[in-house]
Amino acid sequence: MYKILFFLFLVFMHLQSNAESLKLRSPLSDTVKLREVMVVSNIPLDDKDILNFYRTNQFSTLDNINARLGGLSLIKRGAYALEPQMNGFSGGQLNVTIDGMKMFGACTDKMDPVTSYIEPTNLKMIKLKSGTNGSENGCNIGGSMDMTLQEPTLNTKQSNFASIAFGYESVSQSRNILFSTGLGNKKWAWMADGVYRKTENYRAGNEQIIPFTQFEKTNVHSALKFSPDKINSFKADILYDMANNVGYPALPMDVSLAKASLFALEFQRKAKIQLKAKLYFNQIIHVMDDSKRDSLYLLKVKPVGKSDSVYMRMDMPGKSSTLGAYFQMRIPWNENNHLTIKVDNYSNYSIAEMTMHMRYAGFAPEPPMYMQTWPAMLRNVAGIYVENSTYLSPKLVLTANARMDYNVDNLQSEYGQQQFSIFNYTLEKVQGKLIKSINFVAQYDFTNDLTLTTTLGHSERMPTIGERLGFYLFNAYDGYDYIGNPYMKTEKSNFVKMDFQFTNPVIKINISPSISFLNDYIMGITDFNIQAMNFYANGIRVYTNVPSAKLFSTDLQLLYTPVQNISAFWLSKFTYGEINHTEVMPLIPPLKNIIAIQYQKDELQVQAECETALAQNRINSNYGESKTPAFTVFNIKGAYGFTLSKVSMNFSAGITNLFNKAYYEHLDWGRIYRPGRSLELYLKMSY
Amino acid sequence: MKTNILNITIALLISVMFFSCKDDVETTKVNSLEGLIKLEEGYAIGAAAKVEVWGKKNFFMGYNNLTVVLLDSINPTDTLKDAHIYFQPLMTMPQTTGMPMKHACPVENPNEMAMNGVFPGAVAFVMPSMGGAWNLGIYVHNHKNDKSATVNFEVTVDNPPTTVMSVFTSQSPDSAKLVLSLLQPQAPKVGMNDIEFTIHRKASMMEWPADSTYTIEITPEMPSMGHGSPNNVNPVHVGNGHYKGKVNFTMTGEWKINVAVKKDGTTVSKNVYFNITF
Ligand SMILES: [Cu+2]
Repeated sequence: MYKILFFLFLVFMHLQSNAESLKLRSPLSDTVKLREVMVVSNIPLDDKDILNFYRTNQFSTLDNINARLGGLSLIKRGAYALEPQMNGFSGGQLNVTIDGMKMFGACTDKMDPVTSYIEPTNLKMIKLKSGTNGSENGCNIGGSMDMTLQEPTLNTKQSNFASIAFGYESVSQSRNILFSTGLGNKKWAWMADGVYRKTENYRAGNEQIIPFTQFEKTNVHSALKFSPDKINSFKADILYDMANNVGYPALPMDVSLAKASLFALEFQRKAKIQLKAKLYFNQIIHVMDDSKRDSLYLLKVKPVGKSDSVYMRMDMPGKSSTLGAYFQMRIPWNENNHLTIKVDNYSNYSIAEMTMHMRYAGFAPEPPMYMQTWPAMLRNVAGIYVENSTYLSPKLVLTANARMDYNVDNLQSEYGQQQFSIFNYTLEKVQGKLIKSINFVAQYDFTNDLTLTTTLGHSERMPTIGERLGFYLFNAYDGYDYIGNPYMKTEKSNFVKMDFQFTNPVIKINISPSISFLNDYIMGITDFNIQAMNFYANGIRVYTNVPSAKLFSTDLQLLYTPVQNISAFWLSKFTYGEINHTEVMPLIPPLKNIIAIQYQKDELQVQAECETALAQNRINSNYGESKTPAFTVFNIKGAYGFTLSKVSMNFSAGITNLFNKAYYEHLDWGRIYRPGRSLELYLKMSY
Repeated sequence: MKTNILNITIALLISVMFFSCKDDVETTKVNSLEGLIKLEEGYAIGAAAKVEVWGKKNFFMGYNNLTVVLLDSINPTDTLKDAHIYFQPLMTMPQTTGMPMKHACPVENPNEMAMNGVFPGAVAFVMPSMGGAWNLGIYVHNHKNDKSATVNFEVTVDNPPTTVMSVFTSQSPDSAKLVLSLLQPQAPKVGMNDIEFTIHRKASMMEWPADSTYTIEITPEMPSMGHGSPNNVNPVHVGNGHYKGKVNFTMTGEWKINVAVKKDGTTVSKNVYFNITF
């Protein structure tokens, strides 16, 4: 239910900020704002107007928020750690950063997207850019998602605060505690926020309890800011996130530990020329666990001299550490031109191992079998980004940006080198590559109400470590073992996007179609010459550059306010993908709509929301897809705020999946039913 | 992260040091007996030579790399570098009735001229000592004094924990008895490994010549998981009954290498395999 509220505000703010941009025509105005409004979906979670509103919805997960964002869909493998997909792009095709800081999951099976280590309560803002234009923090083709962390505020009314909130969801007996606190004076400010969540297996709409959907997590973030004067400031951030006992019903194993820690130091100077410098380190440790699964497998073919049933356990730890820094300058070099220059460098070290322990019923254990599914690799990327905005006339703004990244992959593991000799590769220890991105954006105001923004871009991206050096990675979706290609070419995209925005006090509409023409698209192609490793795998797929692919995507966002207390919202997302002009691109969601109506009077809010998706019949069965039926789900929620002797209280209650519908979405792996009807209660006290 | 960068730096420094020392290593005399143990020693009295037999471990059923060291029996600090050496292994198997059965096994005699002061050769023992008694005779023709003699060692041939030799009767019309030995990999690793076999044919009880007329096909398999490995290269004859190819292991664990020995395209072996666990 809070989802709706949130969504409403996202749309609202989005359109609102667009409206504002119309007023910000003066070339002397803040470049940041102008630039962002032009090409970014900006979601200011802590805007003063929605502060209270947002806080009442703090206990929604980041996944819930992402599900409501234009262009975003979620790939679901369990109740936790959903993987964002933007306009059909996911994984290594997206730039997911935290304040521009790079961070990479440590799971070979994509169980830990970076978003799973961040909680909404840690965040101030999420910035989305689509297509090739999302390359501010690294060359990429699918878009970017930059999450800005909450920061302490100096010497304002909001500097000193404390709040605690409790939430409960009946469907999974989910218990949530959130806290947030801050202190500040003229020069120093400090804040901390955190979450503890514990959920049990949830119940689906058909009353069935879905096993392995439990999880437990703790998240703490703290920041300290020092500002010697009005212009300069220093900030330090620490973020720690730990999830335990996370179930993944769609995968053959769970996660016993997923742990992230992040440290960052920042310097900012807000003069006419704005400077920002950042130094950071983060580390992710990911330990998979199949000890709770039924580890007895019955074999189709009985091995000679063994039994036909085998107990199998796999130890699969992964680790990813990133050390990086960037320096950024924004220069208004004349009245009509604003320039941004950013230089950055990061090094990521990743390794993932697998040791299999097998024991045939009635036999002594087999010797342990070890391999490096991601052989230890150090990837260093040094980049430079330049962007210039020119205000040609009061109606027309042109922006051009370009980025170059020099990528060096240094294979640290001799073991990995040896592993790949199997496929007749003589692996170079060090591989360097220069990759580029360039984009042009034109924003034109036809009238005060109507704005058209056009983006043209070209970009490429490096293959991920899994796509380059992955070694027998089991994909539970299509049932194949995946192998990397050490000499994979970069994936390239030519991108066109149109943004139509119509804004007046009663109705606000945003339609944003985009198309990406992809070359050397990276996907797994079946290799019949190589045998699968897992006895439950269907075969082997080798990551390969296929000549061409296409992704078309469009969003419709509409906000209608016929009378003062009532608003209606409508969001539609549609994506269409094909490979080599003939084949259906797998894992593309069908048309999805979210429609919500909100009534607000004083401290009372009531909302109703309807979520629908069409059936997805356009599928690629070679890649494990099957058709997904359409569904409609209703949610309702109410919230009421009051003050009790200086403590402001906010109480909300809602019912999600009102009619207890048993359904799943097309991107849900394993076709596992989503939660059924759930009562949600939430109480927040703040001082 | 920092430690990794540090590690690379250290590795680079070490490799630089290593390469700069390499010349010195090559000028000093290679110790041909490094990693070997002395298995036997005795005197070939008539040839005035002390005979030492060195190997990696005690004699076993399979292809044994044996290094012979010849010393002047009068002046034992003087190594002999020019001699003919013949291995003359002999197995005596007592029979329940009649005369004991005697047979030899395949050998590879060392070259006349010593290599780095020693005489490397090989003996492929075709059975362990359990069924009878092995005698390893070493005939020495000392070119220094042009005298010859034989020294005899009563040796124990172990049955190795993992089989590295298969002695079988060919499924061909001539019913030849073949000795297939696995020489490599000796230190198996994940990735591509050299694999080497020898094939010897029993011509008579005493003659076991190398045979180059067969072809070998290998199929590695991980029996516990039921999968194999890709891109293996079947061994081809490289001379003197030796066949060399490549075998790939995708992970550690227990591997089984199925071997098909073929003559003129027809498989003549039956269910021959070797286990390799690492
Ligand atoms: Cu994982």
